[in-house]
Amino acid sequence: MAPQISPELSQKLDAMRDGVNGNAHLADVMHLAEDLVNSMQGFFNQLESSAFSEFKAIAEFITKARSEISALCPNDMKDNRIPGAGAELEAIVKNTEEATNRIMAAAEGIMAADPSDAEAYATEVNNQVMEIFEACSFQDITGQRISKVVQTLRLIEERVGKFADAMGVEDSENVEETAEEKRQKEQLLNGPALNGPETSQDDIDAMFGDANGEASQDDIDSLFD
Amino acid sequence: MSVDMNMKVLVVDDYKTMIRIIHNLLKQIGFNNLDEAENGAEALKKMQGGETYGLVISDWNMEPMTGYELLQKVRNDDALKKTPFIMITAESKTENVIAAKQAGVNNYIVKPFNAATLKQKIVAVLGEF
Repeated sequence: MAPQISPELSQKLDAMRDGVNGNAHLADVMHLAEDLVNSMQGFFNQLESSAFSEFKAIAEFITKARSEISALCPNDMKDNRIPGAGAELEAIVKNTEEATNRIMAAAEGIMAADPSDAEAYATEVNNQVMEIFEACSFQDITGQRISKVVQTLRLIEERVGKFADAMGVEDSENVEETAEEKRQKEQLLNGPALNGPETSQDDIDAMFGDANGEASQDDIDSLFD
Repeated sequence: MSVDMNMKVLVVDDYKTMIRIIHNLLKQIGFNNLDEAENGAEALKKMQGGETYGLVISDWNMEPMTGYELLQKVRNDDALKKTPFIMITAESKTENVIAAKQAGVNNYIVKPFNAATLKQKIVAVLGEF
């Protein structure tokens, strides 16, 4: 005997099918699934108790998942936190570039200054040094911006961590490599190391034999230790 | 054989600021005939377009063509294969240095670097000037 769906639930299903063009929100789908499972109570009552327990556990899992997803505040992350952090990072790149250009322009001004007139030269150097001091104030602002980004990352880490724990989620072992990841691997693109270069300039020099004579096998071997 | 200080030097980096820094350092060293490209593809186009460069100084991490790809293409091009090539990069893993050396790079500088290191490597590649 197939379970009967209530007219109200059927209406909700139709509305979702007609209204969203295949782009239903996860929360709505889960809500509907929860209603569907609840509406099937009569059907469940006719099943063996073990099967009923399974369905009940599924219903409880869906309810819990819905609650955990809600606690994750995904819309807040998607609409506010992540775009906000992105905007802060873009501002950091822009401010840093502007400050670097100001500093370099001042340094170039000093290098190009005519030292034949000592007084004019001193004035020019002082002015350019003041310009460098002023440009360096970007560090205060970018420091504050970075703190905001770090706060956002910590919040996301905390929420996602709680969600993964609550749902018992484990990392998949068979995640397919994206084209971007494949290229990064092929081109050995690792980016800067966190605590300075992984291979020092001295070790690299040893490989090229231009530090203190030719590189010995020991020098090269030391790179692999 | 003395180094021709009028030789054209091509600096390849996707950060204008880094190009400006390297250009200023090269001017201090005595090179004034300088050119730039913002990635490997642009650099290769310039090199294959008839421009002769006495030295190429390139970053590694750029798109659409990395400095590593540029190095490989230069070394596989009969007309360009002898062009001295120095890599200046934040890629500091040993595997990167070995890969670049195997591809034929003449020297390798890790960022951050200073003027003395740049000059030292240019001397190591081109000779005293």
